[in-house]
Amino acid sequence: MPAFYAFTLASQSLRKDKWINLLSMLTIFAGLFILSIIFFIFYNIEAATRNLPEKFSMVVYLEDNFPRERLDQVISSIRARKAVSSVKFVSREDAFKELRSTLKNSQYVLEGLEENPLPDSLIVKLKNTAMGAESVRQLAEEVSRTSGISEVDYGEKFLATLHNVKAGMKITGIILTVVLCTGIVFVCYSTVKILFFRRNEEIETFKLLGATKGFIRAPFIIEGAAIGAAGGLAGLAAVFLLYHVIVVRLAVSAPIFNTLLFPSGAFMLLPLIGMFLGISGAAIALGRLRY
Amino acid sequence: MINFHGVAKEYENQTAVRDITFSIEKGEMVFLTGPSGSGKTTLLRLIYLAERPDSGSIAIAGQDVSELKESGIPLVRRHIGVVFQDFRLLDNRNVFENIALALRIRGAAEREIKSRVFDALKTVNLRHKADSWPRKLSGGEQQRIVIARAMVSDPTVLLADEPTGNLDPDTAESVVRTFKDIHAKGTTIVIATHNRDLYRNSGKRVLRLEAGMLISQEVC
Ligand SMILES: Nc1ncnc2c1ncn2[C@@H]1O[C@H](COP(=O)(O)OP(=O)(O)O)[C@@H](O)[C@H]1O
Ligand SMILES: [Mg+2]
Repeated sequence: MPAFYAFTLASQSLRKDKWINLLSMLTIFAGLFILSIIFFIFYNIEAATRNLPEKFSMVVYLEDNFPRERLDQVISSIRARKAVSSVKFVSREDAFKELRSTLKNSQYVLEGLEENPLPDSLIVKLKNTAMGAESVRQLAEEVSRTSGISEVDYGEKFLATLHNVKAGMKITGIILTVVLCTGIVFVCYSTVKILFFRRNEEIETFKLLGATKGFIRAPFIIEGAAIGAAGGLAGLAAVFLLYHVIVVRLAVSAPIFNTLLFPSGAFMLLPLIGMFLGISGAAIALGRLRY
Repeated sequence: MINFHGVAKEYENQTAVRDITFSIEKGEMVFLTGPSGSGKTTLLRLIYLAERPDSGSIAIAGQDVSELKESGIPLVRRHIGVVFQDFRLLDNRNVFENIALALRIRGAAEREIKSRVFDALKTVNLRHKADSWPRKLSGGEQQRIVIARAMVSDPTVLLADEPTGNLDPDTAESVVRTFKDIHAKGTTIVIATHNRDLYRNSGKRVLRLEAGMLISQEVC
């Protein structure tokens, strides 16, 4: 039962140096907790903005003398594009009617107009996948080059901003994740190194009695895994507590909190992530020792 | 079983042993003697690979260990039981666990560990001290626990560094009897001591060191 004994040694050491272990567990917990909150925020921003492009439509204005018989051909050519979900024709008469009804109470604005100043237009709805501002811009440009089309309007500024914000968020998220994970690995690394040196005398005796590298190292790997997993478990508990006690309660008075999504499946991975980081830290610490 | 050929070892420019050549047969019991500082401990440490020779070659059980890689050391040590001069008992484990450690390191099963440890404790007459803490034992009792730990794994070679240094003459004699019993089972034994009483009229070979040199090997 040599494998079992490694667990015995690891648990003895966890108890013996409980303050060091508790401290590094708390540090890992804090790191993973912060990481979870960042993930929770980003996840919700992503979810909330995922459908935004669909809500945006592109308005394609047709030239005054646009021949109606070409209409179907232009509509189907636009519809054939990847980013487009639907195309609807709005005649200048319909548009004017619409304007009138919008200005119901301020009809005087239209007084003095001798004729309908509005052009025929096409309302182009975009697919969600058309998120990248670049692809929407490209579509607008290509459509505007078609003969008979005078202008293309779309929320280019907004889409570009949204795109940039999301890209920035992604980079920030990656950087924060890397920094925090490196921090956690470093904490485990230092802890295992300290524990190793504290037990130097004992390890020297183990070696003299014929212990292999694996026999000496296994307990430290287990210890790193346990500290990491415990930190992850605490993080998991804290995230659930935070969500169910705070967010759900806030939602009673502020219903906007109801729209927040809670990716519990992803949070379930926290103990595993912690364990993985703990093992990595321990392995690095031991790898740098000669024996 | 143990062959030294022209072995030398120095610490920080101070020679501990030099030009040591001898061989010990399988199943032999040999004493190593000489004044303190003559190199007895160094010679034993060379055998269990705690020191590596600066020159010369060492073979254990036919295997040349002078150039052995670090990863091969544990496997050689598993065939050797050592009674350390400084005991090396672990204060955070009781007597049973200290002795069991030698078996756990070798991957023994729990049931086997139990019976072997109690057998070893019986051999050194300390069966009743299994649950004691090493620090609570007298020097002589600690010495016998170390002997029990060295023999519990049934090593091919048993090395003992001043095993009676802390004992009164009566206990020393019983320890020597224990070694003779172990030797009778076929174990090769090397005992380093400056206590003449241990080997006088023993009929065993005595290797005499002086200032790091092997000056004589004769049966006493
Ligand atoms: N770790 C060491 N560092 C420096 N010198 C040492 C060390 N160990 C032993 N020596 C020296 O090597 C010589 C032999 O020591 P040792 O083998 O312990 O002799 P003995 O066991 O016969 O008393 C002595 O001169 C001692 O001072
Ligand atoms: Mg000595």
